[in-house]
This record gives sequence, C-alpha cells and structure tokens, in this order.
Amino acid sequence: MNLLTQTIYSGLMSGGVYALVGIGLVLAYRTSRVLNLTHGESYVAAALTCALLTEKGVPLWASMLAGLLAAMAVAVAVERLLLRPRTSWPIPSLILLTLAAAFVAKGVFLLVAGVDPLSFERLLSGRPIRFAGGAMPRQGALLIGVGLATAVALTLFLAHTPIGRRLRASAENPDAAQLMGVNVPMLRTLAFALSGALAGLAALLLVPLVAVDFQAGLGMTMRAFIAAALAGMSPFLTILTGFGLGLFEAAVTGYAGALAQDPVVFAVLIALALWQSRGIRFGGSARA
Amino acid sequence: MKHRIGSSLHHPFRPRAATLALACALAAGPALAQAQQNEYRIGVIAPTTGPVATVGQRQLTTLQWWEKSVNESGGIQGRKIRLIHCNDEANPERAVTCARDLLAQKVVLLLNSSVTGPIRAVMPLVEKGPVMLTPSPNIIPAPSTFVFQVSPSDVHMTQAIANYLKRSNVTKLGMVAATDASGEVGIASAQEVFPKNGIALTTARIDLRATDASTQLAKLASADVPVLYSSYSGGAASSVIKSYNNLGLTQPLIISYANISDAFVALIKNDLPDRLLGTAVRAVDPALLDARERQRTEAFTKGYQAWRKERIDQLNLIALGMADVASAVLRDVADPTDAGAVREYLHKTPVESFQTIRFSPQSHVGMNADDVAIVELTKDGSWVAAKPVATGNRAGR
Repeated sequence: MNLLTQTIYSGLMSGGVYALVGIGLVLAYRTSRVLNLTHGESYVAAALTCALLTEKGVPLWASMLAGLLAAMAVAVAVERLLLRPRTSWPIPSLILLTLAAAFVAKGVFLLVAGVDPLSFERLLSGRPIRFAGGAMPRQGALLIGVGLATAVALTLFLAHTPIGRRLRASAENPDAAQLMGVNVPMLRTLAFALSGALAGLAALLLVPLVAVDFQAGLGMTMRAFIAAALAGMSPFLTILTGFGLGLFEAAVTGYAGALAQDPVVFAVLIALALWQSRGIRFGGSARA
Repeated sequence: MKHRIGSSLHHPFRPRAATLALACALAAGPALAQAQQNEYRIGVIAPTTGPVATVGQRQLTTLQWWEKSVNESGGIQGRKIRLIHCNDEANPERAVTCARDLLAQKVVLLLNSSVTGPIRAVMPLVEKGPVMLTPSPNIIPAPSTFVFQVSPSDVHMTQAIANYLKRSNVTKLGMVAATDASGEVGIASAQEVFPKNGIALTTARIDLRATDASTQLAKLASADVPVLYSSYSGGAASSVIKSYNNLGLTQPLIISYANISDAFVALIKNDLPDRLLGTAVRAVDPALLDARERQRTEAFTKGYQAWRKERIDQLNLIALGMADVASAVLRDVADPTDAGAVREYLHKTPVESFQTIRFSPQSHVGMNADDVAIVELTKDGSWVAAKPVATGNRAGR
C-alpha cells in the first residue's frame, strides 16, 4: 500500500465533507452576518437520526431522508427561534447564543443517543476501489463526487439563478433588498435550511465510513469555519479550501504523526490567518 | 404586574417548623450513624459517560451485582456493603474530585474502574490509604503503595501477543495506539517486548478525537505487516475497525484488552474483520480454565446472567477480580480501614477469583502472562482461544 496515495484519498474524503459543511456555514453567515456555531450540530442531528432509525429497522432511504430533515430542522430552528427575534442584538452576542445552543444540542444528543459512537450502513458497499497503491471505499468515491458536485452546483445556483441573486442581495444589503420587494426573512430561512441540508448530506455520506457521537458537532463546526475563513467566506473558494484542509490534515497525520496534527495544523492556520489579515494590520482594507 | 422574583426571600421565619426540622435531624442522626457502622462503604470510580463509557458501565454493573449478592446473603462479617459510585468521565480532573468526595465519605476501599490517566491522577490521594484496587493493565503500582492492580500488566499482555506471533512464525507487527496515556504505555510495552522476541514493530498513533484511521493503517499496511494490533481502548476505537474495513485490509486484527466486550462488538457489527482477535484473561474462554477456576467462573456467570439477562464478557470478569479481592479483605482483615494491615494481608494471601490473583511484597500486579490468552471472536459473538495466524479463520466468519 502506498502511503502518499492513501493520504491523498483520505484527504479528499475529509475535504469533501469540509467543503460541504463549510459552504453551508458561509451560506448562513452571508445571509445573517452571524457565524452559526450550531452548524456542526446539524451534521450530528442527521447522522444520529439516521443511525437510530436504521437500528429500529426503518429502511435506509427513509432514515436518510429523516436525517436530512432533522439537520434542516436544527438549522431553521436556530434562525427562527434564536436569531430572528433578536436582530437588534450585537453580532458577538448572537454568535455566543449559537454557541450556547450548540451545547444544548449536545446535551440533547447525549440523552437521546447515549455516549457510544453510532453509524449506519453504506449506500455503496463492496470491496474498495484500488488505484495507484491506495484503496478507497466506494462510499468514499461517492462522497467526493457528491461533495464536489453539490458544492459547485450551489455556487452556480447562488451566482446565476434569480433566487440565488436575491439571496446574495439580502446578504449584502438586507434593507435595500427589502425595499426592492425581496422577502428577506423568508430567504434567510431558506439559506439556513440549505445550510442544514448541506451539513446533513455530508453526515449521511461520511458517517457510514467513520461513526459519529453526540459531541462531534463543535469539531465539525471548527473545521468548517477554518475552511470558510481561509476562503474569505466565499462559497466557491470554500470548495478549494475545504479540500485543501482535508489533504493538509491527512498529510500531517501520515507523515508527521497524529501527535503533530494539532500543533502543525493550527500553527499553519494561524500563520495563514495572520497573512490574510495583513490588510487590517497595515491599515489597508478589511479582508478577514 | 407584581414582581415575584425573589419573593421567597421575604417569607416570614417560622419558628415552629424550624424546631420540628431540627428535632427530626437530631433524632435521625444516631440512627444514620448506626446504619453507617453496620455497613462497609466502598467507593467506586467508573466512567459511565464519555469516550470509554463502554469500559466503565459494564464494570459498574458487575460491582452492583456483587453488592446485591453479598447483601442478600447477609453481608460480610454481618455488615452489608454499600457502593458509592462517582462517574469520572475518564477525565483526570474529574477523577480527582471523585476520589476526594469518596475519601471524605470515609470509604473503606476504593475500586477504580477508570483508565490510565484518571487512575494515575488519583494515586497520590491514596498515599496514606485507603487501599485502592484497579483492573487497568497499564497501572503498575509500586509495592510500597496502597494500590493493587488485579489484572495482568500491559507488558504481560504484550508478551502474550509476542508468544502467539512466535507460535505463528510471524516476525512483523503493525500497531496503532492512541495519543493518550494508555497509548504511551502500550507503545512502551511494545517497544520493550517485541524486539526482544524477534518481532519487527511498526507503529502509528491516532488522536482520541479522530474518526478516521485510514492514513495510520495505510502506513502500517505499507510496511507489509501480516498482523495488525490496535491497543486503542473504548468505543472510539471503532474508528480503527471502520478504517480497516474501508481499506479492504485482510490481516488478522488484534484489539485491546478493554475492548473484548459485547458493547464494543455491537458498535462494530457492520465492519467486523474476517479475523478479530484480542488479549484477554483465560476465563473469557472457559475451556482454558482448570476445574476449580471454571467452577468459580460458572457460579458468577449464572448469577450475573440471571440478574442482568446479558452474557458476561471480559469487563465483567476484571471487575469481578476487584470484587473478590474486596470480599477477601473485608472478610479476613480485622480492620479493613487499616491500609497497612490490608496491604500485609494481600502480600501474603492469594485470592481465588475467576483465576487466582496473587500479590507479593515485590509486586502489586495480581496476574501474569500465564493468565492471558489470545482469543478470537466467533460467529455467535463469543470469544475462544485463537488458532495460529496462518490457519485462517477459525470461527468461519
């Protein structure tokens, strides 16, 4: 088995997930200006719902559908119940509110699903695809393909469809968009629903390969945020940074070891963040 | 609108009610003290939530069975036992808080079913007693302490794996270990044992929060190892099994002592390798016991299964080891709160459990490499002695 090839495969699989979850985070951020730290809980909600339902004998497709709806419900609930009634609050307070909601969600997941990691069947099983000395599970190939296709499709949707343009308009200047007849609250709800759906889709594709537990949400939010922040909160660039982050993490684990993963990954990311914020530090335009 | 917040602060003082409450408390005091004198309070630290809950929960249940069966048979020396459990969530800080709380409640013995880091964090708190028992193979207590470890040590387990590999003519091994204290001990034991036995070792580490071990396993597989060993314990080790399956690996996979449990097998049921092996006490496969050991193990098995309606596994057995040592101490030591007397007793007296637990003034580890077996998962979910590597899948899965 070739370590380099396998590192690339592992990195692409993680990257597909980071891209999907990261774009969801960007979508919610750009329509609300609030960094939704509950975003990863949509990922966990989808995975746990699907795992618990399949354990009860519900068919996989129905469980996946329920998982996707659960992920969307979490995201929409955050927007409708937490953010919308508090539009006058300062942004940092709203971000803290989403963090608090993430902890509440974690507690609920613990009560409902218990402490052990859960998983469910793959959509595609069978022997892994072997190529260039590496092995990739069929589900992994599906994950990369769907992740990439969805991310690109969503970016095109935002750029070239009337709803996408309205979404962007309501993100850039909600007051002006409202005056132009755009239903901003409805579009925000739509953006959060889409954001939850992307996190849910990532979970349904990845969790059969890895497992998930009640506390996985914040870790996923953190990685999605890193990908999104490196991309300057641009949906299209988040595809690239998501895959880049996945590949980088896999390379550090493969060649420097798991003990080096956090120090190296965060050292490089801090360096990148400092580089990105140079405009602010040296009096240029705000970029970060 | 009337503001009600804080209204309770303005309730009038009621002298009659307060006098009544005080009288009740004074009357209950002596009765409570007498009840405490008529029971042995045993402190139990076991993680029942968190990443190694699969390890702590089953051990706690076994200790509860012990409490119930002892009390139903009239107690020990006429005194009942009462377990006081604290969930440390496998967190060292929380474990220290648990230990302090339990020591403040004057427990006679402390039974610690947690994992390496938290157990080590608690050890300084029992420097002057009471005696602490633990089944963690990674704990090698100094003979001068009041800590006793009832399982074989990690070195013993590792030696058993080395013996098994030598019998199978295997000269290379790939090992995955976690990045926590347990992983450190596992790697140290492996580096001590395998090279001495002519087995080349390749290692890879996995972060406790990681959900994918593909890169680590690929690194090991690229070294062309015929057998893989994961010393990673707890439910999160399922990520290693999933990644093994994702890569389509076919080497026999040996898992850790703490994961020879039904709970762990249930977690990985969709990803079971063709040959799943593990290190275990011999009692996991009763065919490996002598007649006396088998009789004792069967008595426990019947009693526990009748109560819990679930099959026993290795975690039950290692907790039973602690319970049996505790029973022997409470039965035979005149004052079990005297940690010095308990230590002296344990140095001299072997304890009959599912296998015999022997401490000495030189060693506070109660079992050795002869007490360990390499076992293999069968189709029906039980574990039996593993056939050598080259003979293929004994269980036919």
